[in-house]
Amino acid sequence: MTIIKKMLFASRFQELTFDALESLLDLRAVGLDHVVFLYVVERDKVAMHRGIGYQKSEEVKLKEVANIHFIEWAEQLFEQGMEVGVHIVVGTLVQQVVRATDMEKVDLIVIGRPTRGLLEQLVSGSDISALIRRTRVPILVYKQQPLEAVEKAYPFKRPLLATDWSPAAAKAQDYLMNLKGLVEEINIIHVGKDKALNSLSAMDVQRYRKTHREKLRAICDRFEKEGIKARSHLYVGDPYQEIERAAREWRASVIVTGCSGKGTWRERIIGSVPRFLAEKSDLSSLIVPHGGGA
Amino acid sequence: MPKKVLVVDDDPDVRLFNSSVVQELGFISVEAGNGEEGRQMVAQEIPDLIILDVMMPLQSGIRLYRALKTDAAFANIPVIILSGISQRSFNKSQEALTAFEGSDIPAPEAYIEKPADFETLAAQIKNCIHRK
Repeated sequence: MTIIKKMLFASRFQELTFDALESLLDLRAVGLDHVVFLYVVERDKVAMHRGIGYQKSEEVKLKEVANIHFIEWAEQLFEQGMEVGVHIVVGTLVQQVVRATDMEKVDLIVIGRPTRGLLEQLVSGSDISALIRRTRVPILVYKQQPLEAVEKAYPFKRPLLATDWSPAAAKAQDYLMNLKGLVEEINIIHVGKDKALNSLSAMDVQRYRKTHREKLRAICDRFEKEGIKARSHLYVGDPYQEIERAAREWRASVIVTGCSGKGTWRERIIGSVPRFLAEKSDLSSLIVPHGGGA
Repeated sequence: MPKKVLVVDDDPDVRLFNSSVVQELGFISVEAGNGEEGRQMVAQEIPDLIILDVMMPLQSGIRLYRALKTDAAFANIPVIILSGISQRSFNKSQEALTAFEGSDIPAPEAYIEKPADFETLAAQIKNCIHRK
């Protein structure tokens, strides 16, 4: 089944190298045939300055440097019979990712760790929140492994699916189901909020545990029916911290979450779990928007 | 009637340079900014020559070249590839696609690695047009 035919790879070269791209090429098993490179020259690097004006020569230089990188990468992919496209543009990352996504009709967006400062995020929101709000395409926030890592990281090999039982989480579950040729083993986690549990009696807590474990087991059964080894985990505590902990304990290659995409003022200031994972965790995370994906 | 040359490149500066070389030689130039647009322009304009970049949005020159050479209506239009991608990679990519799709296609009339100087490009354009 072809679910990822075209992938947008937005790189600033420091945080996403060819190694990262190479580790995603196993997506060819689910139809990947076309990689679109995007490099965004941040507007402030070439913006108007008093006495200098618009720095056209700087723009040309930055674009040419990006082109040198992409030519190297594109040659590798072309030689394997893949299709490659490129966009090297001036603008802001989110705006240009959305533009290229719409223009090229990609099935997956891959970006590196977002780098906006706290103040900028408070003013205009994070790149991740903005992207989730503006696109229905799944976003893989790829965290590059250290170069000295011996084993190559294949992000879809051992995913950890975090579910809050929402329709968005169900969508993420379906999305992973379609990647069955790539996924070797999946860990599925639900994190119960300890505040909610504190007010329950011992019996109610046991009932809570039983109900949620049964629901997790049902998801595992679905994956196992498709030949994917699956394990379920019920944790209690802060969702971000517990998901991150589980991902390490179960040696996940990527953390997968669903997302409603309805960004609120509260979320802009406090942040959602997918956004925290994307921005703070050292592990890669895949965000599947509700209504997006296959 | 002057000959018509289609320039397909996503870089407006390169399009401008290529078109100026074409016009300097007394030919008409028409332009497209990506592979998909290039494909439409070929059908619309039926050019006498195509100067084609490889790495572009929407459709690469590799796939466009292949589409043209496997279509009897356009297979005879000569093509100059003008790209930063090496000829070796272009050839290897066509070999990989041939292995996958089965249809063998001929090599382009000329291959120039960017940047092209005026004399080289002009000589190749004249050569291809006159050969046709």
